[in-house]
Amino acid sequence: MSAQSTETPVLSVRDLRIEFPLGVVVDGSSFDIARGQTMGLVGESGSGKSMTSLAIMGLLPKEAMTTGSVRFHGDELLHRSDASMRRTRGDQIAMIFQDPLSSLNPYYTVGFQIAEAYRAHKGGTKAAAMTKAAEAMDRVRIPDAVGRVRHYPHQFSGGMRQRVMIAMALVCEPDLIIADEPTTALDVTVQAQILDLLTEVQEMTQAAMLFITHDLAVVSHISDHVTVMRYGRTVEQGTAEQIFSNPRNDYTRALLAATPRLDDAVDLPEPILTNGGE
Amino acid sequence: MTASLSNQVEEFGRPDPGEDFSPGAGALKRILGKPSVILSLGFLVFIVLLAIFAPLITQLSGYSPYEFDEGAVDPALGGLPRGPLGGISADHWMGVEPQNGRDIFARIAYGARVSMLIGIGATAITMIIGVVMGVIAGFLGGFVDAAISRVMDFLMAFPALIFMIAILSALPQGNRPLLLVLVLSLFSWPATARVIRGQTLSLKNREFVEAAKTSGAGWVPLVFREVLPNLSGTIVVMATLAVPTFIATEAGLSFLGVGITPPDPSWGQMIASAVTWYSSDPMFFAIPGMFLFLTVLSFTVLGDNLQKIWAGGL
Amino acid sequence: MALYLVKRLFAALIIMLLVVFFTFVIFFQLSPDPAASICGQTCTPERIEAIRYQLGLNEPFFTQFFTFLAAIFVGRDYGSGASAVHCNAPCIGYSFQTNQDVLQGIIDRLPVSVTIAVGAAVLWLLSGVAAGVISAVKEGTWWDKGAMMFALAGISLPNYFVALVLQYLLVVQLQWLPFPTVVPFTDSPVQWFQAYLMPWMVLALMYASMYARLTRTNVIDTLGENFMRTARAKGLGRGAVLIRHGLRPSLTPIVTLLGVDFATLLGGALITETVFGLNGVGRYAYDAIAVNDQPVIMGVTLVAAFAVIIANIVVDLLYRLLDPRVRVSSS
Repeated sequence: MSAQSTETPVLSVRDLRIEFPLGVVVDGSSFDIARGQTMGLVGESGSGKSMTSLAIMGLLPKEAMTTGSVRFHGDELLHRSDASMRRTRGDQIAMIFQDPLSSLNPYYTVGFQIAEAYRAHKGGTKAAAMTKAAEAMDRVRIPDAVGRVRHYPHQFSGGMRQRVMIAMALVCEPDLIIADEPTTALDVTVQAQILDLLTEVQEMTQAAMLFITHDLAVVSHISDHVTVMRYGRTVEQGTAEQIFSNPRNDYTRALLAATPRLDDAVDLPEPILTNGGE
Repeated sequence: MTASLSNQVEEFGRPDPGEDFSPGAGALKRILGKPSVILSLGFLVFIVLLAIFAPLITQLSGYSPYEFDEGAVDPALGGLPRGPLGGISADHWMGVEPQNGRDIFARIAYGARVSMLIGIGATAITMIIGVVMGVIAGFLGGFVDAAISRVMDFLMAFPALIFMIAILSALPQGNRPLLLVLVLSLFSWPATARVIRGQTLSLKNREFVEAAKTSGAGWVPLVFREVLPNLSGTIVVMATLAVPTFIATEAGLSFLGVGITPPDPSWGQMIASAVTWYSSDPMFFAIPGMFLFLTVLSFTVLGDNLQKIWAGGL
Repeated sequence: MALYLVKRLFAALIIMLLVVFFTFVIFFQLSPDPAASICGQTCTPERIEAIRYQLGLNEPFFTQFFTFLAAIFVGRDYGSGASAVHCNAPCIGYSFQTNQDVLQGIIDRLPVSVTIAVGAAVLWLLSGVAAGVISAVKEGTWWDKGAMMFALAGISLPNYFVALVLQYLLVVQLQWLPFPTVVPFTDSPVQWFQAYLMPWMVLALMYASMYARLTRTNVIDTLGENFMRTARAKGLGRGAVLIRHGLRPSLTPIVTLLGVDFATLLGGALITETVFGLNGVGRYAYDAIAVNDQPVIMGVTLVAAFAVIIANIVVDLLYRLLDPRVRVSSS
């Protein structure tokens, strides 16, 4: 956890407000993330945390109306054209999703899907991209990366699949990684390994990370700063130490006091397919 | 709460953007508000009433479907109906058939009976057999499943149309509608059973079935309380979409002369008779065709919209 | 994979056997005495008896069944002596009304049915699937609504109705086309094309409508999948996202459906062939039914069933090839 730096934060969100015809989902969100730092965005289902990440990526549905500012290395991201955002997505800002089984296309090999991300931004031959893919898989500690590059998503266990997703996010060496509930769908034992991996990755690349979760226990492991959201509003913000040792808001206190699993059956982990996996 | 629109579309797939069809009584009301649904329902109500009250209505219109009215056709023109549009008049609301002068309206009304009877009858039997077989196969698994699945494979391998034609042409006259319903159902239930079996299989693995099993419930109440209610959406949609298929098939078989045989009226059979006249008396050809088309269309529109509520089935 | 294939072929064989058996049973029970219908108008009881003997109709049921089965492998002789008729293997029946080997009759007419099936399939695939994909991508727009309304009409119109209306319009009224008469392609390509154009259009309308609706549903479902979101998040171009990630999951079920539909058509688009007067396999069956030519009806039924069973196996294999999740792969 590096000291506060005085350079421009990698990501700077100011008064972000996202509104749908049905209602407001995010109301006035603001935070910064510096190089090598992790911001934990915590809240229950419907708090607006995922919407925030989609807004940063420019992946909100058409009906969404967004106001405020989201600056990446000082450049405004909101309201950019899709073509311009496409160049940034996957390259400088990468996203890791919650359920690796449904987030990977079952019809293509994992190597292909990782290589695809690389080729889209860095060009080059298919073979070169596949090599990069194998390297990325190796970096996230998938055993026999070179061999398994040709395997399909269903041939991996849950934890391994998430490593594939992380490899895919890393292959273009992004400056900002957004992880949306990356461990929620995994077994508890595997969760810890993935969290360790993410920490390691961040230390290696010094990328900024936005870590979204409902689970405060997970947040405590990985975040430097924490933003607590509820019904679209930010209820508390601060460093991890501040939040955990001295929570000022009742809701935050309630979250801390509650058992680790705050949400309902909707978020039960998926059954894991083991394949000699973790 | 702050459920996003994209969630709704993702979950149920089919509603168009702007249409909000999450399941529940509200959805039914919203569907009923659509003009296409209103028109379809209206038309179907009309047809059903026509079918049910055919004898009464034809008493009002004055002619039975079997009655010949020589006066309405002109022998000098080779038997063409007198008057424009195939002989439409205050007397014969939809005109008359060439040569024999039978009242088309009466025949359409009685033809509606046939179509509805066979369409709904075949659907009912197909759905009953299909659901029972599908649930048994899916739920019990093992040998029972294998046996039933083989029977389904076997029946589905038959070239149904040819076989139906052959059987129907070989059978004696007897009760044609009943025969048609039986033959149609025989070849159609496997397809239904297959879908039901698939859904039963996925339901079987769900937690609530496990829970109920451990509570010691026998499998019969389990099926009725847990499995069937979840299948109800699929069943309704399949049934609604099956009716037009059967109506169309019956019409096709009657067109070929092996379904409802003359002099009993059937829309398909009327089209067949109209073939030789379709250039000189197009109305005779067009009227049963349009009725057939609109009936099938209305059912399909209904089925499509019902599917929007129950797209996932489970 | 090979083991799976063997298992499927074996199962198919059993099913085929059962189909033959049941077809035989039904025709045996149901048909009025074929000897009488063969004999015709000027018949005497002696002649009928002679024909019955010739056809082996006095034998017990199972004997007749096994004779029939055996004939498929080794051929068969009907009657004896000078009037004997030989039916070459594989023999699926002999029509005394047309004095022709049934299989030969089918083979003679197969080109017509195949031409109809292939032409229609090309048409309906191109138009139906394309329309479905475009509708899905432009979901909710006027294009989508219009295309789906058209498709709805397409599946609701009885195909013989469309056939007759089309024929009326194009041949009788506008006189753009002559009445369909099949000539070999080599004799007159133009006339050949003109003969098949309307059957193609009629079949294509019906199937294209079905496929458009199905494709649209599949693509919309696929577009809502999580991996599509991942593809976009990777920064892939719109085209790559749609074509590479969207189409394969959507179209794989279509391919399998196509296999079965195509095979069914090979068994003869009965109604279409009859209405347009084309001499295909379906027409063969229809004419035979009209005069109760039992061997032909049986023969066509068997060939059609065979085509569907084979198609099911092919389609199954294809699906295993296309969908990695179904493949029995070695890790």
